[in-house]
Amino acid sequence: MDSEIAQAYVDAAAAALDLPIHPDHRPGVLTYFRLAAAMADLVAGQALHVEDDPAPVFVPIGPGDRVDKKLAR
Amino acid sequence: MNANDWLGSSAAAIAHAVRTRAVSAADIVDASLARIEATDGVVNAFTDLTAERARRRAAEIDAELAASTDPVGNAAPLLGVPFAVKNLFDVAGLPTRAGSKIERDRAPAVHDCPLITRLESAGAVLVGALNMDEYAYGFTTENSHDGPTRNPHDPARVAGGSSGGSAAAVAAGQVPLALGSDTNGSIRVPASLCGTFGLKPTYGRLPRTGTYPFVASLDHLGPFARTAQDLALSYDAMQGMDRRDPACVERPVESTARALADRIDTLRIAILGDYFQDQAGPEARNAVARVAAALQVQRTASLPQAARARAAAFVISNAEGGALHLADLRTRAADFEPLSRDRFLAGALLPAGWVVQAQRLRRWFALRAAELFQEVDVLIAPATPCAAPALGTEWLTLNGQRLPARPSLGLLTQPISLIGLPVCAVPVWDCHPTMPIGVQLIAAPWREGMLLRVAHQLEMAGVVKAPVATIPAR
Repeated sequence: MDSEIAQAYVDAAAAALDLPIHPDHRPGVLTYFRLAAAMADLVAGQALHVEDDPAPVFVPIGPGDRVDKKLAR
Repeated sequence: MNANDWLGSSAAAIAHAVRTRAVSAADIVDASLARIEATDGVVNAFTDLTAERARRRAAEIDAELAASTDPVGNAAPLLGVPFAVKNLFDVAGLPTRAGSKIERDRAPAVHDCPLITRLESAGAVLVGALNMDEYAYGFTTENSHDGPTRNPHDPARVAGGSSGGSAAAVAAGQVPLALGSDTNGSIRVPASLCGTFGLKPTYGRLPRTGTYPFVASLDHLGPFARTAQDLALSYDAMQGMDRRDPACVERPVESTARALADRIDTLRIAILGDYFQDQAGPEARNAVARVAAALQVQRTASLPQAARARAAAFVISNAEGGALHLADLRTRAADFEPLSRDRFLAGALLPAGWVVQAQRLRRWFALRAAELFQEVDVLIAPATPCAAPALGTEWLTLNGQRLPARPSLGLLTQPISLIGLPVCAVPVWDCHPTMPIGVQLIAAPWREGMLLRVAHQLEMAGVVKAPVATIPAR
């Protein structure tokens, strides 16, 4: 990803998420954002079919199911 | 043998000795606490000790044994065995710090994590909690808040991470058994660098209830030990459904420990080629060759697009980790570990399309692996590209490529955990002048028992081993 595009995206997305980026942290954030972009490019290079669903599958929860992880805390 | 000798043996041997009253649980626990006291100034594996609780539990075990005329403890395969857990496991009375500065200010856990309860039901005795990379986002356990965990076999080197304290405590002989978590390699990488056995079970096999998450899509829990049998005993004790973890899968308990000596000569075993050789240094390739030779394996097999799978794991981890910590990143980013803070911040910003595509690739890749497992039972691959680097190492040179050291330690583990395959990491020596390096034994989902059999028989043949490190004085 082009450096200027990365900078513009990071600044706009951080503002949209109300996520302040301290000036001392910004160079590192840009470095890692561009690394993630390179990884996303690799992922995008794989041709997928519409039948290739995302891996996570939702498990419905009934009214009597004691499935809240917070119960363990 | 005295208690120190037993402590340096295996969990199975300790449990037998306690059961037959060759040594008391109290003496074993005291030996473990004394070994921690003597060596942890160098290793820095422990962040918390539960000495009072451990001594109380050991005394209860000894009292039960003294009061019984039956062969007590046959139902407790880990009777009197000291163990410790990565500090992202809830331990009643301790804040679950997950390696962070932020969490240690929060209220102590009220309950133990279910896996701790299950190990204690099998007779094991919790002695403390262990150092890790902050929020499990790292492969070296260079933790700025608690100090780095040092490799017991050479304290100038990293222990690996993020479960570095778990691997180091086992390698240092402080405990024969420890628990850790593995999202992208955090059991297999430190097991490789510290020379221990490590088991990352199938995704969904062990419940994660009562542990601090990192990437819910990818998080696994599992044991470290110095023998394959001890991995099997602890894994068997921890199996079982817990509906509070939505990823946990209802399956019958498989007794892997009883089947360790079953035949493996009928298994179809192959070396993973391509990416898993290209991203490995000479020590790692040599370790694979030794294991393959011992198993009389020449066949190679390929998992297509492993580099893309690793990239998908990177994107999913980055995005889920960033989103999980968004509230704290907004208000107290300066309190995060400097080595991972900027990665968390960047991860919180990733476009949704990247993440969804990575989750689609994940299922595609799992299908390709399932096709391969129609022809093969066990795959052999290196666990890390190299043996443990020195603390503070920033760059690795791997087959002519200059790579950032810390993230690259997970190059060979990430494609496998992306699709939740079970892996047993086994320690190989003499591929590096002084250090161990691990090999991954990989199977189709739910075939942990097959992997533990292969690991055990490699160990019986002397090909893999996990000796207790000699720790230099401070």
